[in-house]
Amino acid sequence: MVKFGIEFVPKEAYWKTVYYAVQSEKRGFDNLWITDHYNNRNVYVTLAATAIYTKKIVFGPGVTNPFLVNPIVTTQSLASLDEMAPGRVVLGMGAGDKTTLASTGIEATKQLSAVVDAIAIFRAMLEGKSVTYEGNVFKVKGTRFNFKPRGQIPVYIGAQGPKMLETAGKIGDGVLINASHPKDIDYAVGQIKKGVEKAEKKMSDVDVTAYTSFSVDKKPDKAMGAASPVVAFIVAGSPNVILERHGIDLAKADKIRGALAKGDFGGAFGSVSPKMMEAFCIAGTPDMCNEKISRLLKAGITQFVVGSPVGPNVRKSIDLISEQVIPHFKE
Amino acid sequence: MSYKKIVEMIPVEKREDLSDKLLNYLLKTKNEKNMSSSMAKCFLSQWQTGSFEDETGLAVLLEATATVEPEKTIEFVEQELHLVDVAKAVKEAAA
Repeated sequence: MVKFGIEFVPKEAYWKTVYYAVQSEKRGFDNLWITDHYNNRNVYVTLAATAIYTKKIVFGPGVTNPFLVNPIVTTQSLASLDEMAPGRVVLGMGAGDKTTLASTGIEATKQLSAVVDAIAIFRAMLEGKSVTYEGNVFKVKGTRFNFKPRGQIPVYIGAQGPKMLETAGKIGDGVLINASHPKDIDYAVGQIKKGVEKAEKKMSDVDVTAYTSFSVDKKPDKAMGAASPVVAFIVAGSPNVILERHGIDLAKADKIRGALAKGDFGGAFGSVSPKMMEAFCIAGTPDMCNEKISRLLKAGITQFVVGSPVGPNVRKSIDLISEQVIPHFKE
Repeated sequence: MSYKKIVEMIPVEKREDLSDKLLNYLLKTKNEKNMSSSMAKCFLSQWQTGSFEDETGLAVLLEATATVEPEKTIEFVEQELHLVDVAKAVKEAAA
């Protein structure tokens, strides 16, 4: 049965994010993902508070990256969280956003190798033994904790490009695909399958997760209105190959990029077309959203993540999902 | 007057509307710095174990909202719910 996850960006005081985390648990979500960006509240502080106030929801960073946070510190953080919430912790690891990383002075090169190394170090250190590892990007020598981690923690890999998707299928327990459209999921599942086959695993060994941009409301216009700013940023950050896959006019995408670069948010959000909305978000009434989620399920996902903005009123949208979306797929 | 006592003054049929509105004020507030650490913990503990619609929960929510968004809270109680005495009590408690 499909799992439902939800993503929150900890951009506000911790108690608001934790309020929504508790609400999500009460309303039947299985997974909670907290984004990791240096310019928001710290992901592990937020997750630690979440661990205290929840009792069954599975949670983790969605996603962290090995460039800004050293893999040893990531492992230490997750192992500590696993003591607070045994068996409820997962790791979401990706290559990081190059633009955001560049603003910190970090040059994110050899992204695939960095992720592979980080996961190898993560899993080895969770064994609780001294770890020596020489990867292409990260090297550790005789590194060990002064405490015994509880055990292995599932690893989800944030992936979009072909190589990362294949690698995720090969070494991941799950894949977080930043996509809301069946075309993108179809492509991703094909790549993941290649990795799964190379590792002689089964597809059922991998939790194929659609990490969507989602907005639900009883009034479709309100849902769409909340989603269009997020879609503008997705269009601006998408490589042309993905825009072309959805038949999006590259000149229009450039117009949005230009407007965002100038800080003309009104211009950027106003340039989002229906085709862009269709490609990069799931927005509308519960029935409209259910129809789109069904298409993603047919494409092969096993977890559906309700990502930003969730809806025009996050609290009410979570209730709406609980009442009219999750039961549609779970009952 | 304690917030528990203030909540007792609110007719039962108006508590759901009040709870809904106060949660909106609190979750959308920009005055996050006015939420003390102890009040945030009290708010989350109540949410973890109960709701904000019963007397205990509504008292916690009312205190938090009256502290963080006093003007909006009092205005709603007085002008939308037409509970003048309750609005006066909230004003005194929040002062």
